[in-house]
Amino acid sequence: MNEITQILLSPQGVGCDSEELMPLVYNDLRRMAAARMASEAQGQTLQPTALVHDAWLRMFGNGERRWQNRGHFFGEATEAMRRILIERARRKSRLKHGQGWVRLDIDELSLAEATPDDKVLLINEALEHLEAEDPERAKVVVMKFFGGLTNQEVAKILGVAERTVERQWAYAKAWLFQNIREQI
Amino acid sequence: MDDTLSREEEVFDAARKLEDPAERGAYLDRACDDDPKLRERVEALLSIHSHAEELFTECFSALRSSADNPESPAAERDLARGGEEEQPGAQIGHYKILQKIGEGGCGAVYTAEQEKPMRRLVALKVIKLGMDTRAVIARFDAERQALAMMDHPNIAKVLDAGATHTGRPYFVMELVRGTRITDYCDQNQLDTRDRLELFIQICNAIQHAHQKGIIHRDIKPSNIIVTLHDGLPVPKVIDFGIAKATEAPLTDKTLLTLQNQLIGTPAYMSPEQAATGGLDIDTRSDIYSLGVLLYELLTGKTPFDSKTLLQSGLDEMRRTLRDEEPQRPSALLTVLAGSDLTTTAARRHAEPPRLIALMRGDLDWIVMKALEKERARRYETANGLAMDIKRYLTNEPVMARPPSRTYRLQKLVRRNKVVFIATAAVSAALIAGLGTSTWLFLQEREARQRAVAAEHQQIRLTQDAERARSNEAKLRLQAEARERITQAEVLVSQGRFDEADKMIREVSPMGPSVEHAAVLRSLSEWHALQSRWTQAVDRFGLLLQVNQLDGWDQSSLDFLGCGVCLIESGAADHYDGFRQAGLFRFASTTNAVGAERIVKISLLESPDTTRIESLAPLARLAAESFATVDSHDTEASFRAAWGSVSLALWEYRQGHYAESIVWARRCLAFPDYNAPRAATAHLELALALSQTGQRDESLRELSQARQSIESKFNEGLEPGSAAQGFWFDWVFARILLREASE
Repeated sequence: MNEITQILLSPQGVGCDSEELMPLVYNDLRRMAAARMASEAQGQTLQPTALVHDAWLRMFGNGERRWQNRGHFFGEATEAMRRILIERARRKSRLKHGQGWVRLDIDELSLAEATPDDKVLLINEALEHLEAEDPERAKVVVMKFFGGLTNQEVAKILGVAERTVERQWAYAKAWLFQNIREQI
Repeated sequence: MDDTLSREEEVFDAARKLEDPAERGAYLDRACDDDPKLRERVEALLSIHSHAEELFTECFSALRSSADNPESPAAERDLARGGEEEQPGAQIGHYKILQKIGEGGCGAVYTAEQEKPMRRLVALKVIKLGMDTRAVIARFDAERQALAMMDHPNIAKVLDAGATHTGRPYFVMELVRGTRITDYCDQNQLDTRDRLELFIQICNAIQHAHQKGIIHRDIKPSNIIVTLHDGLPVPKVIDFGIAKATEAPLTDKTLLTLQNQLIGTPAYMSPEQAATGGLDIDTRSDIYSLGVLLYELLTGKTPFDSKTLLQSGLDEMRRTLRDEEPQRPSALLTVLAGSDLTTTAARRHAEPPRLIALMRGDLDWIVMKALEKERARRYETANGLAMDIKRYLTNEPVMARPPSRTYRLQKLVRRNKVVFIATAAVSAALIAGLGTSTWLFLQEREARQRAVAAEHQQIRLTQDAERARSNEAKLRLQAEARERITQAEVLVSQGRFDEADKMIREVSPMGPSVEHAAVLRSLSEWHALQSRWTQAVDRFGLLLQVNQLDGWDQSSLDFLGCGVCLIESGAADHYDGFRQAGLFRFASTTNAVGAERIVKISLLESPDTTRIESLAPLARLAAESFATVDSHDTEASFRAAWGSVSLALWEYRQGHYAESIVWARRCLAFPDYNAPRAATAHLELALALSQTGQRDESLRELSQARQSIESKFNEGLEPGSAAQGFWFDWVFARILLREASE
């Protein structure tokens, strides 16, 4: 168990404030980000710091925060990364398609023609549906897809078996794809 | 968890692993035996399974490359050059872009036309740095109300904020057409007086903002635009609220960014702003930046060179701002190269020697007071700074003072700051309540533990207080309190003590402050000289909570004044708490004069034996130091004579009468004469001689002292001076006279 989770799980750690955690969390976020990017990046230069920095601002921008436990914390951390990545994808998508796009107009898009950024946005919209139906599985998707965590890490964070994470992730991917297809 | 989904997931998971269609079919037959709908759904999922995996793999890479190089400067620049640049005619929110009027480090400024709710021209600033737009706007919104309350002719209002369609934050401001202040002054060859007049207007604007709870955080020449109104220059402060909204943590990276943009913000940054990256900032940070601006208006240079600061790296920059004393303006001008100096002087419509002479003295000290590292030493308010400049312009004495010798010794304190602050906090805790009528009365045995607890508490409170400083409501209150201190200081300087007293009555201590201490000291003395002892004790009680920056000399004198007032007011039950506070403040002193004063004031009333023991180290320090004195050294003799008075009392209170007599006679033997000191020594002799049975001699000493003291009080008590003795030295003698007369 790493340092930050130890703090978060210790009796005193419940409700401990962001200032204390900052350096630890920062390292962990960086590691999380690096892990995600390293997973499929052969021979590429990766700069996770900028992403982590943004995530950090999202989480701490509004002053002090308190987390109940590590699940809560990592949930928010990966959520923050999701928001950043989505914002960027939106921006790029808008540039590509011209201005004035606030939300992706699904009707005018077929999956085959969509850019990867568009697809990320589509997945995100489907994920919003999943969140409405089953927040627990949606959380796994956020951690896996946007947070770049491994099955093992997600399992530890959520306190479930690794096998469960694998099963939920596989199912969610199919569910999301189906949801996208239904909408296009 | 949803049961249907769980079941679906379970079946799907098992089935997707069975690659053989027959096996898979058989499994599904079994698993979905009585549930055709389930089978239908699972089969649908299985049919898209591989497409889904493909999609996610592809998107994963897309995300990775997005995160890979998210907002690189190059990408940023491309974006800025490409379709991103706001073109004339473009619409942003309610605003139509007209033309670009400026390009700064962090963004471009355009004139724009607002259409709703009214048609007018505004300035629109688009922030270029890769910023988190939502956070920027949220921070701006948090301050929007306070910003809206600002209404001052020298402030350009910030009207609105929002995000462009490309996701960048923008700010809408009152349109100000003009020249940045430094350029305006140089181009028009404004002389020093005219520059100061403009600067006073800027101070007034900042003061107004501070009273609304707004700190500017980025005062620098490019944020102060001079416009002409009927031919008269009017400076306008722009960008209020923007620095706070767009504040990024100060890191080596941001420093690098600043460097590339060639903007010199670090040169205007207060030491605490550089150190904490904006976490611990109050209105006095703006006072520092105003000081830098004033420095530049007067000399053409900033106290520290921007480029050097930027290139030295973050740690070195912080160190410079924290530790290095900038040159006084006059000193800087003196060392300027010939041609530089000629240009600088010409721009100020002056001959070089004349310009230097003008700076030397008052202006030097005004600038340096604004630039103090320790914010409690700066002007409390922008208004205070402005008023001091006005005083300079009308040839009145200014509040800013050159550092005295004792003050320079004080600077040593900074090196031992932790210890210093800790003891100061203990003193404050012990003294707390003095001003509000309840003294902390500490039991002897518990004193230490409780003091330590109090110290922790105090440190925590201080930290909490620091944290809360960013809170606007609190800032407003503080600004108001500081303003009262500044006004009271002016009233005191005009001899209007009763008004000053009313002005400052509501102000509770906000930590060490040179100005606050000075005002309280004057008012304590004023009350004491009118024999209003209770009021004097009240003011002294507050004074002892804020005078930590005044050094051992002044603060030990403050203890002397407080002690005699306390006894005269009849608050005997508070005397012990007071002694304890003095002892704590000076417990680790190595200064014999401070030690001897604390010993003396602690023994003015007879203490019990434990108290005497606790004073022993201080008395020992004094005795060692004053035992031998070079009689040619007048200052040493002067100190030793006073020390002897204290040591005579020290011995007397322990019943060592012979020793007491030796010290008292020694005091009287010093060649220089000081009336209250001599009177006190005579009284000590009278007391000790009476104890040893030498009644006649005792009475002679007593009558000599009585004569001197009564005639002084008949002719009226005055503040006095170090050489002649202060008012409290006389009150001290009179209290001892009462004891000796019994």
